[in-house]
Amino acid sequence: MSQGLLEVAGLHKRFGGLVAVKDIGFTIAPGEILGLIGPNGSGKSTVMKLIMGIERPNAGSVRVGGQEVAGWPTHRIARAGIGIVFQHSRPLHRQTVLENIKLAMLPDSLLRLAASSHIEARAREIADLVGLSEVLYRHPPTLPFADLRRMELAKAIARDPKVVLVDEPFAGLTAAEVRAFSDLIAGFRAQGRAVLLVDHNVKGVTALVDRVLAMYLGERVAEGSAAEVMANETVRRVYLGGKIETHARPELDARPGRPLLDVRGVSVLYGKAQALQDVSLHVREQEFVSVVGLNGAGKTTLFNAICGLVPYFGNIAWDGQELRGRKAATIARGGIVQCPETRELFGDMSVRENLELGGQHLTAAERRSQFDWLYALFPILPARARQAARTLSGGEQQMLAIARALMMKPRLLVLDEPTLGLAPVILEQLSKALSELRRTTPITVLLGEQNVTFALPHADRVYVLEHAQIVWEGDPARFAEEAGAGYL
Amino acid sequence: MLALQILIDGFAISALYGLGAVGFTLLFGVSGVLNLAHGGIMVIAALIGWQAAGGLGLGTWLGSAVGVLAALVASYATYFVVVRPIQRSRAIPREETEIFVLTGTLLWGIMIQVGMAYFYSDNPVTMRPLIDGVTNIAGVRTPTNEILIAVISWVAIGLLWLLVNRTRAGKALLAASINPRGLVLLGFELDRIYLMVWTIYGVLAGIAGVLLASFLGVGTSNIGNLTASAFSIVVMGGLGSVSGSLVAAYVVGYLETFTAYEIAPTLRPIPALILLVLVVYLRPQGLLGRR
Amino acid sequence: MARALRSPALWIALVLLLLAVSLPWWVSAYILGVLTVSYYFGVFAMAWDLLFGFANEVNFGPTFLIGLGAYTAGILDNTLGPPIFVCVAAGALVAMIGGVLLALPALRLRGPYFGLVTLVAVLLLQNAIVIFASVTGGEIGMNVNDILSVNAVTNYWIALVFIAVCGALLFGLSRSAVGLILQASGQDAIEAAALGFNVTKHKLAAFCVSALFSGLAGAMLVFYEGTASVGTVIDIAIAVQIIIAAVLGGRRTILGPAIGAIILVLAGEELRQLGQLNTFVVSAVALAVILFFPDGLLGHLLRRGERG
Repeated sequence: MSQGLLEVAGLHKRFGGLVAVKDIGFTIAPGEILGLIGPNGSGKSTVMKLIMGIERPNAGSVRVGGQEVAGWPTHRIARAGIGIVFQHSRPLHRQTVLENIKLAMLPDSLLRLAASSHIEARAREIADLVGLSEVLYRHPPTLPFADLRRMELAKAIARDPKVVLVDEPFAGLTAAEVRAFSDLIAGFRAQGRAVLLVDHNVKGVTALVDRVLAMYLGERVAEGSAAEVMANETVRRVYLGGKIETHARPELDARPGRPLLDVRGVSVLYGKAQALQDVSLHVREQEFVSVVGLNGAGKTTLFNAICGLVPYFGNIAWDGQELRGRKAATIARGGIVQCPETRELFGDMSVRENLELGGQHLTAAERRSQFDWLYALFPILPARARQAARTLSGGEQQMLAIARALMMKPRLLVLDEPTLGLAPVILEQLSKALSELRRTTPITVLLGEQNVTFALPHADRVYVLEHAQIVWEGDPARFAEEAGAGYL
Repeated sequence: MLALQILIDGFAISALYGLGAVGFTLLFGVSGVLNLAHGGIMVIAALIGWQAAGGLGLGTWLGSAVGVLAALVASYATYFVVVRPIQRSRAIPREETEIFVLTGTLLWGIMIQVGMAYFYSDNPVTMRPLIDGVTNIAGVRTPTNEILIAVISWVAIGLLWLLVNRTRAGKALLAASINPRGLVLLGFELDRIYLMVWTIYGVLAGIAGVLLASFLGVGTSNIGNLTASAFSIVVMGGLGSVSGSLVAAYVVGYLETFTAYEIAPTLRPIPALILLVLVVYLRPQGLLGRR
Repeated sequence: MARALRSPALWIALVLLLLAVSLPWWVSAYILGVLTVSYYFGVFAMAWDLLFGFANEVNFGPTFLIGLGAYTAGILDNTLGPPIFVCVAAGALVAMIGGVLLALPALRLRGPYFGLVTLVAVLLLQNAIVIFASVTGGEIGMNVNDILSVNAVTNYWIALVFIAVCGALLFGLSRSAVGLILQASGQDAIEAAALGFNVTKHKLAAFCVSALFSGLAGAMLVFYEGTASVGTVIDIAIAVQIIIAAVLGGRRTILGPAIGAIILVLAGEELRQLGQLNTFVVSAVALAVILFFPDGLLGHLLRRGERG
């Protein structure tokens, strides 16, 4: 029996009413790297968690070297030979780097008081291999971002696994660091291990992987070599969407006067990771501006900075006034309303109650007229008025979230990834509602999306955010020609 | 006859337990704070109310109002002096904040207990009944005061229900217990909401305290038991669930009354404790628990 | 191992130990008595820190475990009268069983929920003691026939050796491979599992060890004082003192809580003249420590190397 073979078949996982993973299966031979790609919400991270036992599959099988491990607790799966490199580093803050690596080599014993002598030597060896020998006695809170990621790789190497699961390894790294990490991952392959590399961007992992499996909404949409998958119809549609129509109104940006929202040189640091780097953009009254970028690019961070939810360096001006120092609730009442990726609905309260809370600061008459307008814009809402928000489908929840934000009569509506995890048919409805909004009201919108088909038709201008920086800005029509090709 | 007596007494004591527990659970549901100074705040209301009614000659009704006011002040003190500084402290790591708040309120409760005992000694005080006289319910002679207490408790609980489900301020409270971040996005100041919940908590604990003084008498030596029974009920009913607390309060109240009458008065708290152990092992989230 | 020897905490503790050894020659019997009690408290605090600091489980009722150890030893001595060390061992064993009982809900509940459960455990024990007053002496407490010694200096030595040995064991455990695994289990259970460690097993073991030492020290205290009562080994006020001692001394250092406990007991004795208010002052100071100084003495000294 071939050692180190990972065989996954018929993997299925539902969370309540949501099917996160549907009938996923693949095989990885020793010395092979399989890339599992898909946009956010596609279920790829869930697949990883299912293999590792962090979530239990509802159905399906996971075999390591012939041994069935599906349904086992995580620590047994780890001991069966699967190692994982998490997307977000998980160091032990109170231990040194050396201790963190040594931990990975300890047996699961209650009685062992001292580590075997060879463990110390091996730990140093591994630290040397990944480039951590200078910081062996330092503690994680003092280390830069890349070193923390190196430590995660070191732990994986220390475990000497047959199968390695790597989750989005290149996020937040410089080009040089990406090369170094790629070499280390290629090293796994050279050692005869089976590697599953999960990422949302095929382009980034093309050089490294042998084969690719693309996922969307929990299902497999394509499998083959990297080039085959990138050329696949469905994949292109999912990422880039189909034919892109644009309806830009460039005259809006040509008007004199200052922009409504002016973001200048904004940078955000999450601990050590640079989430935003010197980002500048502006939105004029009545414009619809789309910020396009894959997840992890920094869209949510940008929106949170604008809405006062995270600290930042730089300037953000709203109607001429500096926003820094204002509390989030104050900014929301001042006219900037965000409808976040996570929607943040009040699940146990009814649709109507959710909307009413949005209209708290309006007069009774204003509230009534808002209700009438929103009920017409999103006909599904009056149909479900008394239902608990939690019981609505994904698309309905998204519409409720947008409607609730609109109840506040915002001057600027900030929409973060409204299409996340939604089926194409719902996207149509949402798109229609946005068109309607754009056509009939003077509202200003800032939309963040990775789904280019959705983001472009409504936009007057487009920015592209990649790895914490703005890399392109301009007309939506030009986007399809200039930036779109390299996007996938 | 005895059965009816148990029914009536049980109802009254349960209503009072319910009132105390509901405030405790509302506070947890909205602000995430498990206030171990709960008993202390109730007893502050009782002692100050008693003093105002008797010593200062304000009479029972006005004295009780003063007692409730004292509980409100104590509630604010707990929030501003103990809870909020700990929550905002940057020296305490995020994951440990809840635990430090718990310890802080425990210490504060002890300080209240010792402080009040210094001024009032630890003897229990009894307030004169709000209403004198005895009512005859199907042959059982019950002090009218007891009936009034049950009524007041339920009126208070009813008003709370109206507040949370029918007023806009109340719905904001409910929303805060579900998703505070969502409220911030809608322009609500969370600080105001927390202030509101501590206010409601102070009033409820105050009313429970003065009613208890009128019904059974209470002193600083009861503080520990009061806090303990409040959180026992709340754990059984489900932390954060107001209806769960009410149901559990009645279960506990009747269990205790039944035990006191039928088994032995000294064994009063036992069945409830046993039930608590069962709940913790078999269904730790309580009857109707959410969080 | 070499690194453990380089730990500043250890050197501070050794210096203090030397000081403590010298005390009987120049300090009164009265102070020796206070210190004796403080050493047993020191073990209570260290056992608590193992559970909290390492396994990340907040135990608001360490006195549940201590009380089990103390009363088992006392009752055994009064009823069957075996030698003291048998009673103490029995106390430790029963406390360990108590630890397992406490661990079971702990492994399924989050922090503050579990804290409440531990408080409930104390309540239950308290009520049980009162109900079975015929055996336990109820609220008044009970006397035990045997005591360790009538000589204050002998008692002091016994307590000092006890805390030194327990301290060495617990500190060594915290620095061992097993201690590292325990810390991982407490800090990040998912990561620990991904590295192949059975978190449940390790946390259960932590509960047992913490219970063992708590029960052991509780039983020893009974045979020192000659009495056991709710007020001395079970009351919530005692539990709070233990937690404060650990916070004051520095969480997650093992040796810090021991120092904190000694300071606390000494201070409590000093403040005894204030009568009732002494509890008030101690609680107020403790609250101030939590608000302004949560890392505690030793924690503050040691943490500076760890902050980024």
